[in-house]
Amino acid sequence: MTLLAHAIAASPPATLSHAGLRGRPLAWSEAGDLGLWSTEWAPDIKLERPDALEHHRLVERICAAQPCLPVRFGTAFATTDDARASLDKRAAVLHAALTRVAGKSELAVTLLWRELPGPLSIATAAGPGRQYMEARRAEFAAREARRARAESMVDQVVAELAIDRQLVWHETCTSDSVAVSLAVLVPTEQAAERKADLERVAARFPDVIPVLNGPWPPYTFARTE
Amino acid sequence: MKELTAEDASLLELVDRLLNKGVVLAGEATISVAGIDLIYLGLNVVLAAVETIDKAQERRAS
Repeated sequence: MTLLAHAIAASPPATLSHAGLRGRPLAWSEAGDLGLWSTEWAPDIKLERPDALEHHRLVERICAAQPCLPVRFGTAFATTDDARASLDKRAAVLHAALTRVAGKSELAVTLLWRELPGPLSIATAAGPGRQYMEARRAEFAAREARRARAESMVDQVVAELAIDRQLVWHETCTSDSVAVSLAVLVPTEQAAERKADLERVAARFPDVIPVLNGPWPPYTFARTE
Repeated sequence: MKELTAEDASLLELVDRLLNKGVVLAGEATISVAGIDLIYLGLNVVLAAVETIDKAQERRAS
């Protein structure tokens, strides 16, 4: 039997149903004043796509019951003692992270370019070497322009919503389709209101399609390394 | 390349968080996740998260 980790919380544990992933027993392993919520798992059972989504629903359930830090999906411990030892090693940083996310939820904003980059027109009168270099230069300039535009949208979102930069994480241009992927940590009781604010600001950008998700557990802000 | 839809983006954002974010505990074993390729490849798009997984797999293999 192994333990498939879901979330870390402070003790005492909240009262939760005993059903973990695939209906297997949900376990609480306590180490000092921290504990790990996990499912009692059989190591020979492979995790599948539905398990990832069920893990998400479990973490949501745990976070709704008490402040918690989601653990990366797929993390397992051979024994309860291993799980406890892992918590003990990082108790101080885990406590700090729990304090940071307590009472907060994450909102996610993805801005998708309305138009994908098209072929660049290069003067055909030039020789092949020149054409190649011109094409490279035009491609680089177009990519930089897109990145600058994406960063300016991030700045506008942060400024208009008066969000503390420490509570924002973002990446730009992670693929041809994605302009911005942004996460914000907000007080849970204000999540719906802040989501509406985000939607309003993002809808004003003419060149992207905004996709908003959450509120969900503070995955992005639970990192401790 | 398939254009990314809003539904694709939502799923990818969530999967990215499940696999790439969250607490990484020291000394853990990671169970292999059989269905993850299907999560991404079914969408026929390439995002940073996929690259992260590929790099991690390369590191493990080397």
